Amino acid sequence: MNLLTRIADIFGFLGHFPAYAIAYIVETLIVIIFGTVAVAGMVYLFRKYMARVQIRIGPNRVGKFGLLQVMADGLKLFQKESIMPSGRDDLAYKVAPVMVFIGLMMGFVFIPYGPLAWFGSLTVTHSDVSLVILFALIAIMPIGEILSGIASNNKYAMLGALRGVAKDISFEVPMMLSILSVVVMASANVTNPLDLNGIIQAQSIPFIILEPLGFIIFFISMIARASQSPFDMGESDSELVTGNTTEYSGLRFGMFYLGLFGTIFLGSMIVSIMYLGGYNGPEVGYLGFVWLLIKTMILVVITLTVWLSMPRVRIDKFVNFGWKILLPLSFIQLIAAGFLTLGGIA
Amino acid sequence: MENGLEKKYIELNMGPQHPSTHGVLRLKLLLDGETVKHVEPVIGYLHRNAEKICELDYYCDSLIYFDRMDYVAAMNMEIGYLEAAEKLLAIEPTERVKWIRVVMAELGRIASHLVWAGAFGLDLGMLTPFFYFFEEREKILNIFTEVSGSRQETNYMSIGGVYQDFNDKIIYKIREFLKQFPKKLEEAYSLFVKNDIFISRTKGIGILEPEVALSYGVTGPMLRASGVPYDVRKDAPYLVYDKLNFDIPISKGKDVLSRFIVRFEEMRQSVKIVQQALDKIPDGPYFNPKAKKSLMIRLRGEGDVYARTESPKGEFGVHLIGDGTVKPYRVHVRSPSFKNLSILPYLSRDVLIADMVAISGSIDLVFGEVDR
Amino acid sequence: MSYEVREEAGKDGRKILRIPKENLLELMKDLKGQGYDHLALITAVDYRDRIELVYHLERSSTNFEILTVKTDVNDSTVDSVTSLWESANWDEREQYDMMGLVFRGHPDLKRILLPEGWVGYPLRKDYDLSKTQYVNMDDEGNDRVSFDPGDGW
Repeated sequence: MNLLTRIADIFGFLGHFPAYAIAYIVETLIVIIFGTVAVAGMVYLFRKYMARVQIRIGPNRVGKFGLLQVMADGLKLFQKESIMPSGRDDLAYKVAPVMVFIGLMMGFVFIPYGPLAWFGSLTVTHSDVSLVILFALIAIMPIGEILSGIASNNKYAMLGALRGVAKDISFEVPMMLSILSVVVMASANVTNPLDLNGIIQAQSIPFIILEPLGFIIFFISMIARASQSPFDMGESDSELVTGNTTEYSGLRFGMFYLGLFGTIFLGSMIVSIMYLGGYNGPEVGYLGFVWLLIKTMILVVITLTVWLSMPRVRIDKFVNFGWKILLPLSFIQLIAAGFLTLGGIA
Repeated sequence: MENGLEKKYIELNMGPQHPSTHGVLRLKLLLDGETVKHVEPVIGYLHRNAEKICELDYYCDSLIYFDRMDYVAAMNMEIGYLEAAEKLLAIEPTERVKWIRVVMAELGRIASHLVWAGAFGLDLGMLTPFFYFFEEREKILNIFTEVSGSRQETNYMSIGGVYQDFNDKIIYKIREFLKQFPKKLEEAYSLFVKNDIFISRTKGIGILEPEVALSYGVTGPMLRASGVPYDVRKDAPYLVYDKLNFDIPISKGKDVLSRFIVRFEEMRQSVKIVQQALDKIPDGPYFNPKAKKSLMIRLRGEGDVYARTESPKGEFGVHLIGDGTVKPYRVHVRSPSFKNLSILPYLSRDVLIADMVAISGSIDLVFGEVDR
Repeated sequence: MSYEVREEAGKDGRKILRIPKENLLELMKDLKGQGYDHLALITAVDYRDRIELVYHLERSSTNFEILTVKTDVNDSTVDSVTSLWESANWDEREQYDMMGLVFRGHPDLKRILLPEGWVGYPLRKDYDLSKTQYVNMDDEGNDRVSFDPGDGW
């Protein structure tokens, strides 16, 4: 019994197909709301955590402990006038933030959340190739960022977008190779290694123990994907003002902002699914979702700590790092995964 | 170009409102992709012509315009002006005043370097150390508040003396600060130098040969990081620096990293100086009776003097000319940041934008002083 | 030596050399040869009938001891020393800006602190302080100066 069937049961009087259609829509809405709330929560957590690291207090005025600060900021962004540059590429300029936002939210829909108490499994879609779909979807986000840089008619944004492209290509390939090695490992135990659920089920021993190298490569790539320090060359505020988002304001900027934090959250979730066993843990059938959240939050905190303590890497050094270190390492990792699978260890 | 395409550079205008220009520096960049081909600094956005204003004021009044030059190290600026004014007016500060001024100057130097280090971290994308440095700086500013009544633009000193004598509370506060500061400094220092990314961003970037540095008139930590041990405190001692035991740190690295290390070593030396000075402060009056308040606006000077002092940014020189009236005839300020900034176009030829930001950060620019 | 140098002592014990304007560059070349590798600053003083140009030189080999060179300028043109010290570049631009001295042979003589188009030279004694000038920026990003209050920010 999972959440989808429960919702479908409620609408059962409409017949099988309409009931499930409505159930899918409802659950997608639930997931999107969850995603937004999770990201808002993460912004709050980040601000509090950052303040603590930096000997400050952080938000403490709006609501108890400043809990409503994020909401207030969101409202402010809603109300603000969106100041648009003249000479922009109008359609691209307006579509770009939406692409980032949609890419992020669609990523959330394909995550296997695992079961939670009475609700059962919270997962929305059950596809045999959900891994492929997920990575195809989150690959939409960089396109939005590049588009925004090109459309803004601003040199800072342009340079930021160029840097973004250089950065994206240099870590995508190692990242995909390390995913491939995860699939190779999973294929030894399960019949559906391209399904995220299958990957989780294959991890009776979490892959972080079997493939520490792959974990490191993938985690670095995920931090780079979120384009936050030390890999925030695209946005680098001390050099390019804010890179591709320079000319955005109001709600459109809010979407980019949500995209940044959402990617951290989504990325940490994907890492914990791929390498930390996702919802695996004691009492899976009852607490699976909680385990996933705990693992995700640990990774989020690590990511934020890295963010707060590192200076920015120079773009050429990062490209070198991606092609000359990460890529060979991920090949080694792939070969090692193959041997582990053949040897029957995984 | 061979394929019939014309090579075009990107013109980029950085500043005067830009996160990494430390005030109102405007840089006209010519970019080839990410590579900087040419930089032209445009300055003057904070120009107030303090030199002209000084000509219109009494000798004692000009002091506040010096406070507002290097506004993060106002104490050092005051000393720079007073060194010249006291020579011109032939009013010698009392012995106690000299020691008090040394304490204040070195605290000011620490405060200035702390601000620089924090801002430099921001230039490289490190947000956190900024707050650590400002926490410490705030403690120094508390001491300044205790002695003078204001945090930043202190206006503490006056011709031949200081505004207020040191009392036990002030000395206690300074000692308390010195007790905890070195540990905090080392902690913050290790945040930088133990970080591989920081090293890779700074090492070998912005190499400045000593001959070039001298030719461009670069002074201060910039020059010492290139291996020239020029420090006015040692080479032409003023106040009581000849009675104090301290070293002038130099570095052979010539790059951004060595400028960072030199400034941190200077802070450690300043702590040493303040400790010695606090132990040695003699008793006595805290102003010269020849320059008591009622006589202040009747001070007359004639002749022409040039006084150098070592401000946190480098050689701070004041050229003061009096014509026998109560107001100076001409004041000219040699502001070290102004000269240090002139090296930027030379250093940032054919470097990446990221490196140019690191280089301009390592210069330690304060625009009140560049533009005057 | 083909030129005449008058030596004076400053009030603070500095050595001051006084040289006619025509021989300035020659003397500076000699001083550079004597090891004065650091030009600390260039100042000018307006004495109404003449402008006195002051150079402060320092020698790195002898603890940066200071030497002052003074010359009188009557017709506001003088030889540039940028060929000897790079630091003269910005210093001479500043003196051009503030005093209206024209330096012959300067590679890029234009105003440095004030916007191009500013009227008058502020540090001259006859500068009219009562007239306010307003600065604004045109579409190309160049500064525009006018006496019209409506034009300022």
